[in-house]
Amino acid sequence: MQTANANKSELVIETKGLSRVYKTYKKKEGILESIKGFWDRQYEEKVALAPTDLQIAGGQIVGLVGANGAGKTTLLKMLSGLIHPSSGTAQVLGYTPWERKHDYLRQMSILLGQKNQLWWDISPMDSYLLLADIYDIDKATAIKRIHHLAEILKAEHVLQTQLRRLSLGERMKMEIIGALLHEPKVLFLDEPTIGLDIVAQTSIRQFLAEYAKEKKPTIILTSHYMDDIAKLSDRLLLISKGKMVYDGTVKDFTKKSRTYQKISFSLSEPLDKDLHIASQNLTKGTQEISIQISNEELQIALTQITQISGVQNLKIEEADFEDSIHAFLEAQ
Amino acid sequence: MRFWKRNKAFFKLAVLSNLEYRLNYFIDAILQPMIAAGIEVTLWYSLFHTLGKTEIGGYAQNSYLAYALWTAFVTRISINWMYEFRMIEDIESGTINSLLVRPISFFESHLSQFLGYKIVTTLISLSIPLTVTWIFGLPFDYSKIPLALGLVTYYLFFLHLTSFCVATFAFHLNKIHSFTVAKNLTLWVLCGELFPLDLLPEPLKSIIINLPFSSGVYLPVGYLTGRVSHETLMQGFLSTTVGIFIFAVISIGLWKKGLSSYSGTGA
Amino acid sequence: MKYLRLFLSFARTSFIADMEYRVNFLSRILTDVIWYVAQIVTFETLFQFSDKIGGWTLPEMRVFLGLIFIVDGIYMVLFQANLDSMTEKIRKGDMDLLLTKPVSSQFMMSLQRTSTAMLGNLIIGTSWLIYSIISLENFEWIRLAWLIFLLPIAVITTYSLRMLVSTVSVIVTRADYLQFAWYQITRLGLRPDKMYAPFLRYIVLTIIPLAATASVPARALLDPPEVGLFIWIGFVSGFFLWLTTKFWNYALKHYTSASS
Repeated sequence: MQTANANKSELVIETKGLSRVYKTYKKKEGILESIKGFWDRQYEEKVALAPTDLQIAGGQIVGLVGANGAGKTTLLKMLSGLIHPSSGTAQVLGYTPWERKHDYLRQMSILLGQKNQLWWDISPMDSYLLLADIYDIDKATAIKRIHHLAEILKAEHVLQTQLRRLSLGERMKMEIIGALLHEPKVLFLDEPTIGLDIVAQTSIRQFLAEYAKEKKPTIILTSHYMDDIAKLSDRLLLISKGKMVYDGTVKDFTKKSRTYQKISFSLSEPLDKDLHIASQNLTKGTQEISIQISNEELQIALTQITQISGVQNLKIEEADFEDSIHAFLEAQ
Repeated sequence: MRFWKRNKAFFKLAVLSNLEYRLNYFIDAILQPMIAAGIEVTLWYSLFHTLGKTEIGGYAQNSYLAYALWTAFVTRISINWMYEFRMIEDIESGTINSLLVRPISFFESHLSQFLGYKIVTTLISLSIPLTVTWIFGLPFDYSKIPLALGLVTYYLFFLHLTSFCVATFAFHLNKIHSFTVAKNLTLWVLCGELFPLDLLPEPLKSIIINLPFSSGVYLPVGYLTGRVSHETLMQGFLSTTVGIFIFAVISIGLWKKGLSSYSGTGA
Repeated sequence: MKYLRLFLSFARTSFIADMEYRVNFLSRILTDVIWYVAQIVTFETLFQFSDKIGGWTLPEMRVFLGLIFIVDGIYMVLFQANLDSMTEKIRKGDMDLLLTKPVSSQFMMSLQRTSTAMLGNLIIGTSWLIYSIISLENFEWIRLAWLIFLLPIAVITTYSLRMLVSTVSVIVTRADYLQFAWYQITRLGLRPDKMYAPFLRYIVLTIIPLAATASVPARALLDPPEVGLFIWIGFVSGFFLWLTTKFWNYALKHYTSASS
């Protein structure tokens, strides 16, 4: 279990009270309000990240999960030096990220899920050669690394095609190679598999796992897809409304959160009245039913279900990780 | 009636979204033309200063200063780079899809937004040259304002058609941004923004004045400051009408052609 | 040295990207030609009414225009694509990607895209300059040597002033229109500085050194050399370049990346 007990000298990322607050203004609809808004604006403060203490040791893969706007990207942007915090400190590889010292930037890499860092109009290979110059990597080494990475990603055939002609999945693979070209010690991945199909997601996931084993960078990975997190990370950070609500291993999380079973069945005839099963309500008229029942209530639920007439296609499955997380977050 | 109803929504949308960015609005409607006027006036003033003359081409210094002042503001009304750019972007990015599947025409929606924006801009911005003219007693005929503005407004329909034609090229080509720039530059030269078109030597002078483009700036501003006669102004209405007719025909053709080759995808 | 190598790398990449768009290539040249024609026509028209403007005759004014075109051309090739797209990059949050590289962000922002398409304009501008010089009587060709010093200064000044204006958009995110306001002010540089009343002349030689872009190099070619002026303008342009780095760093501190 790697949490606060990690040896200080091994710490790659350490933050103390790191927080970020934004000022936005409220706007109401309509022309009149727009005119009013011209000279009289009401600002409110939004806490993007509440003061956070974090300690991450070298070689760890940390999964950062939270709803949209929970603060994941804000944290990553601060750790990569893109924005200044409102308060608090952070040290990554011994540097203060937002000082943006070139020596730090050479060792870190950030991949922002939906944004291109490679040039749109040219082939990825041409972009990589440019990146090699930026990071002071000699051409031969760069090409070797590119081919090595492309091989694992099974994307060698698109290296010479213009980026704009590639599919979303292929583009993402190219972006990943671009992000890893300089073999960063710290890697921030913000939603790397968003919008991709299952095949692309899986291959990228496998690639990351293999790469992590080989080069042992420290990785913070955010994702909406809990599979990414569950399969890749050693450690899980849950963030909700700017606050860290969980910091531990994935295993522990699944143990701590209530495990749910998903029960689904259909009826030969629609319900003629409202029905109560454990803590779930079924309304009159439904015919296809799918409910989540916690392990404790399972027995009661099953007893109730078997008493209903005309039950068909009864299935019991373990709820997936995604549902567990959402339930956990909802409970916060 | 439905035409008005649905276009009213776009009109309102344009007004709202432009008021939203207050700094931008201030700069676009007020600050920028003020600076442009200032620079133009300075240039003409300097020219008279360095030449040591009292009149150029038959008109006195004050006449040119008035021309320069009003040109800067009327120009704001008679250019359309922003909405043209948006039309192009809609087509290039595929946003147009959302319009194509609804009972409103691409042309109309942009036209209404365009006009909505212009009307608000006009009302506010023209107050400035009016004030300055009044304070400095520049050569100007206030009674001529309605007709002059009428010509400019009429010209806007023509302008929108030309923008629309340029935008349809986006169906076929990537990155036609430079077409817009080239077109606007040409307009800039032809509509009288650089200098009053009557300074040009013949036969160039007559040719250019008779094109519809002069109705954007030279004719209305010249009319207001006393360089352009009533007949010439009315001719402007005529040439603009011809222009509208020609470009309407061209745009229908281009639009049809564009749609048929449209692949429905975005970037 | 590294930065020179990096710049060449950028130029090469830009060229490859530019080659993708052949139509764009041509239409951009066309656009600039129209602008050149507009400038030329303006002066030719005004010279109908006088022999000299700002102390120069029409043939001399053509040389002045030639210098405007060249400086403009060089600026377009090196900087225009970058500085013009700055507000958009900021709005889209693309600047982030620039900031995470171990290279001066100002360098990357200003020079990553070379518009090789604009080389066409540079050729046209240079041709015009050569044509106008050849048409001059009594031209002392040795005077062209001054350009070795004054042309880079002109380009640096153009870049610095423009950069200062563009950097404002890092702080005040939606300031597209500021650029158009700035464009108006640069028009003061499109006339010989001697044309202006003393107060204005002073301004274009100091606070907003637009005279450096064409008036001063033109004077080096057309009038007896004023070495003091040339040194002064060199100093002013260096100062403004330094100012851009200071302002850029200041603006970055204020930069909040748009949340994705």
